[in-house]
Amino acid sequence: MTDTTQSSNQTGPTVDSAAAGVVDTSMASGRFNRFDNPWLNPKLIWGVCILGGILLLGVIGQFIWNTELVFTGSTPLKLPPFGFENLRRQEGLAEFPLGTDGAGRDLLALLIVGTPNTLMIGAVASLIGMSTGIFLGFSAGFIGGRVDDVIRIFSDVMITIPPLLILVVFQSAFGDVSLFMMAVLIAGFMWQSPTRLIRAQVLSMRESGYVKMAQLSGASTMHIMFREMMPNLIPYLFGSFIANVTTAIVTAVGLEVLGLGPQRIPTLGRIIYDAINSGALIQNLWWWWGLPTALLAIMFIALLLVNLGLDEVSNPRLRKM
Amino acid sequence: MNHLKASLLVGTAMAVAFTGSVVAQDVPREDTVIFDIDRTIRDPENFNPFTPGVKRQHGAHQTMWEPLFILNYESGEIEPWLATGFSSNDAQDEWTVTLRDGVTWSDGEAFNADDVIFSVQMALDNESLSEREPATIRAQVAGVEKVDDLTVTFTLNSSNPRFILENFSNRIFGSFLIMPEHVWTGEDPSTFAFNPPVGTGPYTLNSIATNRAIWDRNDDWWGAQSGFMDLPEPLRVIFLESGGEENRAQLMVSNQMDAAQAVTLGTFEAMGFQNDNIIAWFDDLPYAWPDPCARQMEFNTTVAPWDNADMRRAVEMIIDRNQIVNIAYEGTTQPSRSMFVQYGAMDPFIDAIEAAGHGFTADADVEAAQAIIEAAGYTLGSDGLYELNGEDLTANIHVNSASPEYTRTIDVIVEQLNRAGISARAVPVENSVFWGEVLPLGGYDMSYSWLSCGSVNEPWASMNRYTNATIAPIGERAPGFNNTGRWNTDATAAYTEIVQQMGTMAIGDPAIPAMVAEAHGYLADEVPFVPLVQAAKLLPFNTTYWTGWPTAENNYNHPAFWWGSAHQIIHNLERAQ
Repeated sequence: MTDTTQSSNQTGPTVDSAAAGVVDTSMASGRFNRFDNPWLNPKLIWGVCILGGILLLGVIGQFIWNTELVFTGSTPLKLPPFGFENLRRQEGLAEFPLGTDGAGRDLLALLIVGTPNTLMIGAVASLIGMSTGIFLGFSAGFIGGRVDDVIRIFSDVMITIPPLLILVVFQSAFGDVSLFMMAVLIAGFMWQSPTRLIRAQVLSMRESGYVKMAQLSGASTMHIMFREMMPNLIPYLFGSFIANVTTAIVTAVGLEVLGLGPQRIPTLGRIIYDAINSGALIQNLWWWWGLPTALLAIMFIALLLVNLGLDEVSNPRLRKM
Repeated sequence: MNHLKASLLVGTAMAVAFTGSVVAQDVPREDTVIFDIDRTIRDPENFNPFTPGVKRQHGAHQTMWEPLFILNYESGEIEPWLATGFSSNDAQDEWTVTLRDGVTWSDGEAFNADDVIFSVQMALDNESLSEREPATIRAQVAGVEKVDDLTVTFTLNSSNPRFILENFSNRIFGSFLIMPEHVWTGEDPSTFAFNPPVGTGPYTLNSIATNRAIWDRNDDWWGAQSGFMDLPEPLRVIFLESGGEENRAQLMVSNQMDAAQAVTLGTFEAMGFQNDNIIAWFDDLPYAWPDPCARQMEFNTTVAPWDNADMRRAVEMIIDRNQIVNIAYEGTTQPSRSMFVQYGAMDPFIDAIEAAGHGFTADADVEAAQAIIEAAGYTLGSDGLYELNGEDLTANIHVNSASPEYTRTIDVIVEQLNRAGISARAVPVENSVFWGEVLPLGGYDMSYSWLSCGSVNEPWASMNRYTNATIAPIGERAPGFNNTGRWNTDATAAYTEIVQQMGTMAIGDPAIPAMVAEAHGYLADEVPFVPLVQAAKLLPFNTTYWTGWPTAENNYNHPAFWWGSAHQIIHNLERAQ
């Protein structure tokens, strides 16, 4: 680090214009980054920090805020955030700093409880979907033959089915579902793309020398699949996992906004559903739908940053030259 | 889901409605009045009002079919429409109705006693017509006879002082509709679709789809020609499904709708901020018109543990009616004190019930309720829910998802029950499934409804809906939505005896209040349903294009524009510009 920086500092003044010096510096440190730890790229760090912050809000919030306020009728109705006024000219109260909704629930409490729930659905659904995808993808790619045919055709068929359509039917049939149940249902539509992509990766890896070597030395199929080949795919799997979390959250929120999520368990989508259903837009109760929407947006940006960051880890060509 | 679908539909609907109108005939917006419907028209091609599935508040019984009489809620009078009057013998088991001269169907045929007799006879002969009106006719009428072309005599099974009020006056929602004999003859009334429909009203069908119905004025309407009444001013009447509250409000604010279904107080206030022309029944709080159908929660008394009257009473005690008023209605209504609507004319009966200690209190008594549940063998688990033999005490409450009024009430109740230890959840159901299947077939544990609705100025109509006279097995249609909870115990028998005796007594008999109190005692004891709160309908009207809407000041009748009485509203409208 010091070496290159010094050299750029030394060459900088010798160049005529200052601007050229700036370009030179960035070029030099950029080039250097290539050899730095790829896991420390700024996108990844930012993304993880934001996600961590959101999780922390949920974890710490549970202790410092009264989460009983998420239940119907525990606060006055439709109070604006502290420092604002609603259409009825009521001032927000410090007791309910982010305002209250139309059924007498504290918005801060709803966000504290609802945000981790929403992230949890995404993570669990993605975890289940990815695990299934990894297992099926490796089996299909490595074992081949009939196993490959069955898995490939099955996932190809499943990938054409629009998940939201099926989930809406499922959820309506189940009625009130638990968070975990919802995650499982969504996971049922999360495994197909990982299966296909991992299968493709495995097919190309199968022919590489170290795999051949492992086969020759008598390693079991499971050992080769998960101990020899999988570590090479870790960064890719992480990236894919995060992308799936995003998809799962979008699906979950979509269902919740349609009123098909769990009823008494707050989630960000459910808050938005209640707001839409109660005419919050026309009543200008912006905090009711705006805050959960903003939080979702931040969450998606964070997930996107993590995803991009992981991409850089798994694909060195994406790193800045 | 409904709302999303609906909001997508509204856009298309408006487009279709107006492009459609341009093609058919160019009617300017100023000559068109647009009403809101809160439900999808499930089977738009069917105009048979006697078959299950509600299909007439899309304009059919407000513009096309006319009633014999209209009950005026404000004056209490039964005003003549297609009929001119009625009378009865002293025993009140024979009623004579005289019809108006000069009434014609929209296809030119004369409307006369034959049509009335044909329609009534059809209801009498066809058990399969299970809708409320034909079922009521079947239960009450022994025979019907033609005296002359304009006079009909009904012979009843027993004395009934309310015969006209109940069957032909649009007392609640609708009345028994007279169908044209010349169209229906030879058709099977349980399957006939009656399309194209024919009525006597001043409008005829232009077009209909699942989300809207368009009716155009028939300038040859009999009423204008015979001097009964002028033609109504609107050239076109549209009934449009708005979808959720938000859509409803936006359509009203942007003057794309003239009368909307009920909204919540907050939304109404917000509409007022954006459009000065939005009015309601009252100029000021509570704004809302008290609808005669008090809200309640029904139990299916055949399903454990709710077949146990003690458990039902426990639920009744857990429910805090004040909280429902404050949260679900934002203070625009009142807790129910009995099964009845709290109109002035009902006061003597409600007072008698309360004096006898058989009323319902607004506040909850959770501890007493929990003691009852524990006495039934339940223990409070570590999760705060009662359980018996390892199973949680659960309560699934079916609720019609058509209006936030309904779902918000149930949300409050679900919360109250959960806090008291009952694992309750709401089961939102689409409107037509709710009324078509869940309620009449008894497919629920508990359900939100207003099925004791009926009484407005006398107690019998509501009370008669919970007797043991019409109990259908679960899975078969409860005739006329009566006693859908299948309440059938010794108490029901005792209750039925009192109510049936009451039914033969003249309206205003001084012995009735005490009998009402005694009968209501059985309801308070066994709680086949929990009266919740009075219904408040906050119906926004838009005066941009049309004035003459019903209000507390201009109270020619009540504002329920989805009822058969809405003929009066349409006739009272005046073009604003």
